[in-house]
Amino acid sequence: MTDAPKTDEFEINDYIRLDQMPHFLCPGCGHGIALRALLWAIHELGIDKDKLAVVSGIGCSGRLSAYIDANTFHTTHGRPLAYATGLALARPDLHVIVITGDGDSLAIGGNHLIHACRRNLNLTTMMLNNEIYGMTGGQVSPTTSAERYTTTTPAGNTEPVFDACALAIAAGAGFVGREVTMQVTGLKNLLRDAIAHDGFSFVEVLSDCTEIYGRKNDLGNSPEMILSQKAQMRPEAYRNTVDVPFRPNALKTGILARNARPEYGSAYRAMTAGIREKGK
Amino acid sequence: MDNFEVRFSGSGGQGLILSAKFLAAALVAEGFDVAQSQSYEPVSRGGQSRADLVVSRGQAAFPLSTGLDYLLILHGVAAQSSGAVIGAKTLVMVDSELVPDPPKSDFTLLALPFTETARQLGNKRVANMVALSALVARSGMCPLDRIEEVIRTKTPPKFASLNLEAFAAGRELGTP
Amino acid sequence: MSNRMNMQGNQACAMGAIAAGCRFYAGYPITPSSEVAETMARELPKVGGTFIQMEDEIASMAAVVGASMGGAKAMTATSGPGFSLKQENLGYASGAEIPCVIINVMRGGPSTGMPTRPAQGDIMQARWGTHGDHPIIVLAPASVAECYSETIRAFDLTERLRVPVIVLVDEVIGHLVETVDVGALTPPAEVSRKLASGPADGFEPYAVTQDMVPPFPRPGDGYRSHTTGLTHLPSGFPTQNPAKAKAALSRTTDKLLHHADLIESVEASACDDAEIVIATIGISARAAAQAVTDLRASGIRAGLFRPRTLWPFPEAALKAATANARAVLVPEMNQGQLVLEVERLLGLNRVHRLNKIDGEAITPAEIVAKAQEVLA
Repeated sequence: MTDAPKTDEFEINDYIRLDQMPHFLCPGCGHGIALRALLWAIHELGIDKDKLAVVSGIGCSGRLSAYIDANTFHTTHGRPLAYATGLALARPDLHVIVITGDGDSLAIGGNHLIHACRRNLNLTTMMLNNEIYGMTGGQVSPTTSAERYTTTTPAGNTEPVFDACALAIAAGAGFVGREVTMQVTGLKNLLRDAIAHDGFSFVEVLSDCTEIYGRKNDLGNSPEMILSQKAQMRPEAYRNTVDVPFRPNALKTGILARNARPEYGSAYRAMTAGIREKGK
Repeated sequence: MDNFEVRFSGSGGQGLILSAKFLAAALVAEGFDVAQSQSYEPVSRGGQSRADLVVSRGQAAFPLSTGLDYLLILHGVAAQSSGAVIGAKTLVMVDSELVPDPPKSDFTLLALPFTETARQLGNKRVANMVALSALVARSGMCPLDRIEEVIRTKTPPKFASLNLEAFAAGRELGTP
Repeated sequence: MSNRMNMQGNQACAMGAIAAGCRFYAGYPITPSSEVAETMARELPKVGGTFIQMEDEIASMAAVVGASMGGAKAMTATSGPGFSLKQENLGYASGAEIPCVIINVMRGGPSTGMPTRPAQGDIMQARWGTHGDHPIIVLAPASVAECYSETIRAFDLTERLRVPVIVLVDEVIGHLVETVDVGALTPPAEVSRKLASGPADGFEPYAVTQDMVPPFPRPGDGYRSHTTGLTHLPSGFPTQNPAKAKAALSRTTDKLLHHADLIESVEASACDDAEIVIATIGISARAAAQAVTDLRASGIRAGLFRPRTLWPFPEAALKAATANARAVLVPEMNQGQLVLEVERLLGLNRVHRLNKIDGEAITPAEIVAKAQEVLA
């Protein structure tokens, strides 16, 4: 699925729309680091920008598509995976990447994530998990940690946390991984392997929302938030394992699951080619 | 007759819609325009079921039945449900076994043993074909060999000979 | 005579779509529209197309828009409850100008209502279902032949104008089987959207062109453009500048005014000398057609006005058709929706209602009786 891999140095300006700068992300937001890692992975894979389609939903993560010099689609809240499913089926020649957030893909769009994992269509999802609805001003999300304050949990969060990777693995995703933004190279490598995977790949990026979430919960500045995040992780890089607890007290990073289930688009096209052959 | 209306009614699963489809195909081959509609209850089996044909030369303005010329009732569950669209001109044919209490008025009523005939042929599920053939034989709405041809060409090979036996038996039942 | 066949309305929508070049269908099962999906599942693979049953109604609308963003001619079908769920992504297609066709087979409502029973309760939802001011085209076939030909026209319009087109069918027409001559209904050539061409440098995906329909930048053709549901500039990127936002929104709605002649389609029969004009759509229009014949036989000069293009509503055509009429009767299977538009255009004085919400079609006799009562 990949074009000729590029070995020349990665220059981010080759992959972003400079006329859309300055971007709108807050100082200290981890989303920019994730975007850089994604573009770096795309560069290493040698993907032709004309053949790259990036589909995003609504939220802070949703805005990233506008900064990428590719065919970009900023769709509706929770639905980028469903849009991407139509796009990838109609245009198997494109590399389709979905950028989504924890609210976008685990709350309003949860059903689409489950079924995208089950279907195993060839597309890659990068979910930026910042534990909060940032765009709307800081409401609780399905990944907000216990006891954290948000504008809709004024006395602290009492809801359990969703483990997105455990969900994706259980639903059958072909490739599942997690990384923190502090490990930029590791994140780039993980995204590279995810995009190269023939099937549905899901990468959770532990991002940070310093301005709203960090400030409200006294989590320190951005470097402090990122360091504490990293301290909670157990790297499992490049080991195939599905041993993920529902309550992610110590979250594993790296490739958490990888399988060779048939890719849906190829399977469908083979089936229809057979029908046309029989009809001749 | 250039314009007429036919209703197949009974219980869901009796093959009423298939009978209507066969008759519609035969009538189209005869140059008629046919509008077929059905009414069913939100269950897959059982419950009342009906299929209507509004037959005309050229497209009918209103494609739903308003006054039936022919009404077939294959099950008692549908015995009284067509009262609003039957009258003196209607020929009502009912299954003598499954419709113990047929509607009665100034129309012509024929009670015939469709189900019993089908049972004697070895499968009571072909009662629909027996009834269809009897209706065509009785009414003359289209040539009998036309309906026979439709039954032959549209029935899966496995059931073709049974359906053709049902046709022959129905023709005999219906011929005045 | 060999091309004549019996076909169901829902199947005719599907076969018309394929004849128009539709190669992508995403849907979710719902009575009474499921035959559209079933036909597409069987027929699309034969022509190299793609069928997918999505996880829900919302996803199927999104997948249709996604496939169309990739350049495919795409369609979905649904009924009332599903149509409600599709509205947000339908609005996206309207705002981002992504071609797509939605078949909505109307059933009784609200909520689950009477799933197997006919109604015409989505006349207003089809026009105003999604939020905000938005352009939309709604076609209303009244026969199986029109299910076929109007679905083809829906694709022609959506591809040509980059605006979503809804084919509004009622359960009676959707499930009706009629004799049609498919060959005679298929136009000689299919219409496809105008694609962007020329240099990618400085290309503006929403540029204001003379026909007000921007050429479509197909992914892979080198334009690498941005598509968003946010109010956007000709460049495709969002704006909150009041003047520019107004210009952007106005163009998409003005686009339909600009192409009104292409969009409009009405049947006005026996209206010239009519003392009463019956204005309605779908199965109610079939009853009205018979009622007109019956009324004329009884000495009442009646006419039929049927907007084949329901929205944008053919305002001038209605006024012309009713210019000499003493009364205008609007029979519809709801509590009064189409009549609101007719009243808006003609005033309250001579407009009369005939509403039925019991899950049965309006009959010619009911229209005849109401017409006689209105004129008495």
